[in-house]
Amino acid sequence: MKKRRKIVRIEDIGKPSEQMVNIEPEDLMSLPYLQSSDSKSPPIKPLTEDQKKRYECSLDGVSAIGLPRLKSKEEEERAVKDFLSGLKKLLSRKDNWTFLQPLMLSLENCVKCHTCSESCPIYLASGRQEIYRPIYRSEVLRKIINKYLKKGGKFAKFTGNDIDLNWTTIARLAELAYRCTLCRRCAQACPVGIDNGLITHEIRKLFSQEMGIAPKELHELGTVQQLQVGSSTGMKPEAFVNIIKDFMEEDIEEKTGKKIEIPIDKEGADILFIQNAGEFLSWPENPEAYAIIFDAAGLNWTLSSELSGYDADNYGVWYDDIQLARIALKQVQVAKKLKTKKIVVGECGHAHKALIVIADRILTGELNIPRESCLPLLADLVCNEKLKLDPRKNDFPVTLHDPCNMVRLMGIVEPQRRVLRKICPQFREMEPHGVENYCCGGGSGFAIMSQTNFSDWRSSISGRMKIKQLLETFKDVISPEIRKYVCAPCSNCKGQFRDLLDYYNIERKYNLSYTGLADLVVNAMVDIKQPFLQEPANL
Amino acid sequence: MDSISLLHVVSYVTILIFFAGFAMKAIRYATAPIHLRWELYPVAHEVGHKSGGSYLEELDWRTKPRKKSLIGELTFMAKEFLFFRGYYHRNRQIWYFVYPFHIAGYLFVVWLVVLLIGALATLADLPISAGSASLWGQIIYYLTLAVGLASFIIGTILSMSLLIKRSVDEDLKTYTTPIDYFNLSFVLAIFASGLVAWLLSDPTFHIAREYMKSLITLNPMPAMSPAIITHIMIVCLFLIYMPFTRMTHSIAKYFTFHRVRWEDEPNVGKGEMEKKIEELLNQPVSWSASHIQPGKRWSELAASETVSEVKHEEEKKNSKN
Repeated sequence: MKKRRKIVRIEDIGKPSEQMVNIEPEDLMSLPYLQSSDSKSPPIKPLTEDQKKRYECSLDGVSAIGLPRLKSKEEEERAVKDFLSGLKKLLSRKDNWTFLQPLMLSLENCVKCHTCSESCPIYLASGRQEIYRPIYRSEVLRKIINKYLKKGGKFAKFTGNDIDLNWTTIARLAELAYRCTLCRRCAQACPVGIDNGLITHEIRKLFSQEMGIAPKELHELGTVQQLQVGSSTGMKPEAFVNIIKDFMEEDIEEKTGKKIEIPIDKEGADILFIQNAGEFLSWPENPEAYAIIFDAAGLNWTLSSELSGYDADNYGVWYDDIQLARIALKQVQVAKKLKTKKIVVGECGHAHKALIVIADRILTGELNIPRESCLPLLADLVCNEKLKLDPRKNDFPVTLHDPCNMVRLMGIVEPQRRVLRKICPQFREMEPHGVENYCCGGGSGFAIMSQTNFSDWRSSISGRMKIKQLLETFKDVISPEIRKYVCAPCSNCKGQFRDLLDYYNIERKYNLSYTGLADLVVNAMVDIKQPFLQEPANL
Repeated sequence: MDSISLLHVVSYVTILIFFAGFAMKAIRYATAPIHLRWELYPVAHEVGHKSGGSYLEELDWRTKPRKKSLIGELTFMAKEFLFFRGYYHRNRQIWYFVYPFHIAGYLFVVWLVVLLIGALATLADLPISAGSASLWGQIIYYLTLAVGLASFIIGTILSMSLLIKRSVDEDLKTYTTPIDYFNLSFVLAIFASGLVAWLLSDPTFHIAREYMKSLITLNPMPAMSPAIITHIMIVCLFLIYMPFTRMTHSIAKYFTFHRVRWEDEPNVGKGEMEKKIEELLNQPVSWSASHIQPGKRWSELAASETVSEVKHEEEKKNSKN
């Protein structure tokens, strides 16, 4: 008989205990094909005793942000004071004009009907763990506001706002802000329009902008490193140029026989093409594919080797408005300096959202340079026959993953489909797809966060729904005899797919891999004799 | 001041507070600063983009005219308000409760409007009764009766059902506060007291119409039973309570959709929007984390020579540690 799970209440977040929630393998949503092997070991590797001593992990035994334990009562009291100070700023017109209106609306009007819960892949995949319910963290914040910042807080017990704001609450809430991928599927489902994803985003901001608390991968190694050395990968401008000139151009020639000179820092080009720098290091075939396509189409384009000009990343979009603005500004300054007509953002979802949409109301005057997605451009080249393509070269099953940032949050739904319908005869949709898609589970920075045991949590819980979807999409061609691909036109999603396929051993077992969109286009080009998509050697 | 005229005063004051409260809330939301874009697709006013797509799907979209459909937005909202489409498709189990519950609320408002029309009609010498010589008099009579009764019966049953559901469904119960139970009980009291007043004292809603008439003319009103006065008092109390609670989510819904989810207006420069943004960027920032320099303006912070300053701040942070 299935044991009855302990009821977790909002106020439990402030009650000290070793761990609020224990996630057992049998709690998790079952997966097709994988049930038996998947449930053999605990889904999440426990932290070592040393890590437990060093990091706050009393939420669910996972440490996403490596929050150090505080050493004294005074430090804890100081943290409570800082938290409340940040919370006041979050609710002020002056300090938080950037998101005050949507935040007020979402904080004040939730009717707690739980419609959002059924749309959250993390809540469902975790076996409905209460702490991952979309409104759980929102309710924690509401109760803190009602008790500590509003008149009538003294009557919290009678009004249902009885919550203790102590270090335990703060530490758990900081971790809990990193158990949501900000995919905003919950917001889309809400009949009133409440956005729990936004509330999570604002909690992250409070921690970063007031208390200096953010995952190392997003802040120190992310935005700070990008502003200092030019890229969140740590790649410096010289290294970037070397990769292009010494490796990529040669690699293109070797693979395709085409001698292409990739333009860097060319003044007056029509397009400044800016990609996630991770592509150059982890998946150079994607920027290579764009170079081949742009060359074949005769576009007047350039890359930039300026600081931030070769990295479309903007992790600020996930946790810090100031860092977001700083990076966006740097990126458009590069375009201004090169006098390009527009910026085209490569296959990276959060970079799309950050630079094209969110930064729209930060960039004024001559910095407001036109910024567009690479997907309509690719669709134009493919569908208007500006490239010679033979779809028979892509005659294998392909499905499309919709990156949340491009699709649900920007409405770029069709261009990538038009491309795939044109070049992949066995293209098939996942269900649900388009604006109703499920996040890959690596969104909002998760794909690059791998401190302690967080990557286990990411693979076993936040990516679980996507794996289920993927396996169901290919159920009629699941045999390893058939090579198949999920096309993920986003660097972070690709990183997550790489980890998921490895964690569940899917590439080896089912011959299922991932690729970018441009890669598939080049694979279909008539004048390229060898397959551009490389099959892994170990299959 | 006799008790009758006191009830008039109470009615007018509470109606005034009700509308003022609603207006204050709407103004508070409406005057919040312009926010960074945070839209969510599908956006109801998009034209020519299937599958929930947007103008960002077009190459060189800034050079093309934008098409927006007001009809698209109105159709979406009409379906939401009339049928609770969102709940119907995404949470059918709760739809069975909240849809009729809200329908009872709508009917209550319609009942008040029909009472008002009836009162105006009698002032214009059009008798309102089952045996009225005027067909309109008969229609208004039966409409008042049907709408009022339907509202009270459905409202009473559904308020009770929702109270029960919230207190027995473990998922809902965990998130239901004493205030939520109080609010539901308050709504129940309105419908139930209306039903009791109808049963005991006003089976044709003639007295209710006469009271409405006295509100318009400020003449003394007919004698009213304690049941009717109780009902009117509960409604008046609710009018001064509701605007200051979460029950105004219908107002919020306008803003969550029109000003957040569907707010996809691009900043194409040199317009009113850019002016507003520049004003906001001129505000000082007071966040305290080490990578932010408090006191600087937004624009200064964003445009500051970030490399050296960030380095400096990071060094400061490291030296503290």
